[in-house]
Amino acid sequence: MAMSEVRKKTPDFSIALSWAKKHGWVAIDKGKLVVVKKPGKIDERDALKGVESGQAVGDKVLRILLGRNLVFKEREDSRKKAMKFIGKEVTTLSPELIKTGMWKKVKLKPYNVGARGEKKYPGKRQPYNRFLMQVREKLVQLGFAEMSGPIIETEFWNFDALFQAQNHPSRDWTQTYTLKKPRTGSLPPKNVVEKVKAAHENGGRTGSTGWGYKWDPAKAAQLMPRAHGTACSARQLSKGVNVPGKYFAIKRCFRPDVIDATHGVEFNQCEGIIIDESMTFDKMLGMLKLFATELAGAEDVRFYPDYYPFTEPSVQLSAKHPELGWIEFAGAGIFRPEMTEPLGVKQPVLAWGLGIDRLAMCKLGISDIRHLFSQDIDWLRRQKVTV
Amino acid sequence: MPTIEVNYEDLQMLVGEHVPLDVLQDEGIMYAKGEVDEIEGEVLKLDMKDTNRPDHWSVEGVARELQGRYGHKKGVPTYDVKPSGLVVKVDRKLKCIRPYTVCAVVKNINISHEVLSQMIQLQEKVSMTFGRNRKEVAIGVYDLHKIKGPIEFTSVKPGGIRFVPLEFEKPMTPAEILKKHPKGLEHGHLLSGLKEYPIFIDSSGEVLSLPPIINSNHTGKVSYSTKDVFIECSGFDMKFLLPALNTIVAALADRGGEIRSVRVEYHDKVRHTPDMSPKKSSISVDYVNKVSGLKLSRGKICELLEEARYDAKPKGKSIGLLYPAYRQDIMHPRDVVEDIIISYGYNRIKPVAPKLHTIGSETEIEKFSSSVAEVMAGLGFQETLSYILTNKASLFGKMNLPEGDVAEIENIVSSNWSVFRNWLIPSNLEFLSKNKHREYPQQIFEVGDVVILEQKKETKTSDGRRMSASVCGLNIGYEYMASMLDALFSAFGMEYELVAAKHPTFIPGRAAEIRFSGKPVGIIGEIHPAVLNRWEIENPVVSFEIDLRRIMV
Repeated sequence: MAMSEVRKKTPDFSIALSWAKKHGWVAIDKGKLVVVKKPGKIDERDALKGVESGQAVGDKVLRILLGRNLVFKEREDSRKKAMKFIGKEVTTLSPELIKTGMWKKVKLKPYNVGARGEKKYPGKRQPYNRFLMQVREKLVQLGFAEMSGPIIETEFWNFDALFQAQNHPSRDWTQTYTLKKPRTGSLPPKNVVEKVKAAHENGGRTGSTGWGYKWDPAKAAQLMPRAHGTACSARQLSKGVNVPGKYFAIKRCFRPDVIDATHGVEFNQCEGIIIDESMTFDKMLGMLKLFATELAGAEDVRFYPDYYPFTEPSVQLSAKHPELGWIEFAGAGIFRPEMTEPLGVKQPVLAWGLGIDRLAMCKLGISDIRHLFSQDIDWLRRQKVTV
Repeated sequence: MPTIEVNYEDLQMLVGEHVPLDVLQDEGIMYAKGEVDEIEGEVLKLDMKDTNRPDHWSVEGVARELQGRYGHKKGVPTYDVKPSGLVVKVDRKLKCIRPYTVCAVVKNINISHEVLSQMIQLQEKVSMTFGRNRKEVAIGVYDLHKIKGPIEFTSVKPGGIRFVPLEFEKPMTPAEILKKHPKGLEHGHLLSGLKEYPIFIDSSGEVLSLPPIINSNHTGKVSYSTKDVFIECSGFDMKFLLPALNTIVAALADRGGEIRSVRVEYHDKVRHTPDMSPKKSSISVDYVNKVSGLKLSRGKICELLEEARYDAKPKGKSIGLLYPAYRQDIMHPRDVVEDIIISYGYNRIKPVAPKLHTIGSETEIEKFSSSVAEVMAGLGFQETLSYILTNKASLFGKMNLPEGDVAEIENIVSSNWSVFRNWLIPSNLEFLSKNKHREYPQQIFEVGDVVILEQKKETKTSDGRRMSASVCGLNIGYEYMASMLDALFSAFGMEYELVAAKHPTFIPGRAAEIRFSGKPVGIIGEIHPAVLNRWEIENPVVSFEIDLRRIMV
């Protein structure tokens, strides 16, 4: 049939032609339209019939129909749905009411807004960990860099490098844990070991008389769980420090205490060092006072002479807490030359340790130290988030 | 840190001045590095902080410090010593047993209740804390008139002699004392392995004591009627023995006793003890000010030292010092500086905040741990915190695993805390087992350390930073935790793989190894009901554990 004739007879001729050609039903030969093959099943047609009769239609074909504007999305149903509620009181503000604007013609039922919602528990940080994190942040703000060290230490780093004599009462096994497995570790390079040995035996080059006994390297190589964070400070000094330098560590420590309301199985120590030629005892007191006001919100502080085997002079600080009154807050001192010199540090080193567990107890309002490691999910769920 | 009891009246009597209680508490006791712990009527309980200052551990020693500030005695305390004529012969057999003794006689003491109780307290604290629980220093005090010199310090076979030990009625051999006497049971280990035991005997064959265990009931008992005493300290090292003896002798001399020396004869030398003559030292003014930060004049430093019971004489830019014979704690000029600052008063020093410009930082692993915890909390998990110490049953048996190697404590306090954990999921399960009757579902996580044995390391171990999360409750299963794990990795923009794994802790077919860059970094799985039974957990649990150091980029 001639093209012009078909054009006359067929509505939407150009659309029909391009579809027929695309499907290979017709071809054009010298101005005539020739049927190549008869169409079989036409998906679009079936789908259109389906839409008309309210049957389900596949997504793909529906998209084609929508794209060809053969069908359009009708709002009539939602309008109908929404109409039902006109003038009535409704509970749920439905998408239909919002879309059609019908919400203007309904009354939204008031709720009992005084009623509490269902109990939910947010995911939270453990309160003690959160507290430690805040202390850590504060120390970083104050210019301290974090140190590290292993949980299992050699006695060398835990004691000997700190000028604690091998027969000193503080090294008694009732005061510290010993290990059954593994038993011995290795000592640092010989030059460090020799200097520490000399400091113990006769003072070496430290200007001290030393403890005056035969230092035993085998004892120093014994392994033990870290008993205090000062082990990290000793390692840091030996590794090398910036001058001026400020360092800190918050570390889990282990001692064989009988467990009660003030002694846990494990505890955390927060300690640090400040290295500079200009460091003196009055600056040590100044640093401690700053900690007491910054970290504990202390109103007043008092200093007491104290004793640590590795510091001289030594001091303890008590802080007056606005609610709890006087609490022992920090212990500190200037590292003994017998400790710093063998580790290769010439400048004075101020060393401080904070009673971090006690401070946490104050802050979290708990009286039993074991609660810091609470195993009660209800308690954790109830705990306030401290700011 | 020893705790001692002193009578407040007695203390003031010894100081020679009234010291108000509040002044003593707030200031006075600090001069002896002590703290008033408790007050019960007239009795003050004091915490004495310096384990190297045994001279502070009696009322006489505390009074000595206070005299310098509130009383009229300053400068180094002087003690007059005359010979007693008494001889102690030390047997060379003792070389490998208990080689040394130092002795003294103190005469004309008026032994009141306070004198006696302070003497016993001092003897106990010195041998306990300073003398390393009698190992380094054992002290005996005897009624001089019950002893006939010369005294012999020798050794006997465990069954070789009999005497009546203190507070007992029948004579016993040393071997019997070690088995039956409370002090023998307490300190007997100090003689273990020895073929002969040390013994003090007088010339009439009367036993004085079996050091370091017990005195004889006859000679070694001091009562209110005793006027003159013989004192001996025995041990292995003069560094401990001399200051211990001097401390006790000084305390008795402060009570009016007169010190007499004893001639101690070793096979190769003779030593007259006690030697109470002060020791010499010196300190530079510059060093004092460099350490303290104070600007003290030479004169002021001398004044402070005199109050701290030193003799101080200016010598150019330095100060020549004399300090008491009972002090063995001065090893370095630094020790003298502390005494000067204590004398000045810690609370009189103006604290100066140091101004140093340094940059603060956290370690990478702490930063990463915090970020992981933040994401887990965001996913609705409650963080928990538990001990690193645990027990083998929790790590292995209860987890359906054969027993493996972990770091173990020797001197355990409780078998519950005897080893270091080597993985973290057991801590989650222990927590859940303690919360069976709490509201479900329970979603928890912990970021914590584990200890892994590693031969090559300096400490034969390495610390691992792990994160484990668990969910416990009905209708929450593997898929839920897999999506939590996915959320965690996605939050850090990290790819990972799950590869089916066999692990006895988990239900077969419901466990997978977590891999990051092709390497195993953790495990996820639904806990085996046999494991739940052992923990007595009644709801299903799905857990995962990740080694944070291995995924930290």
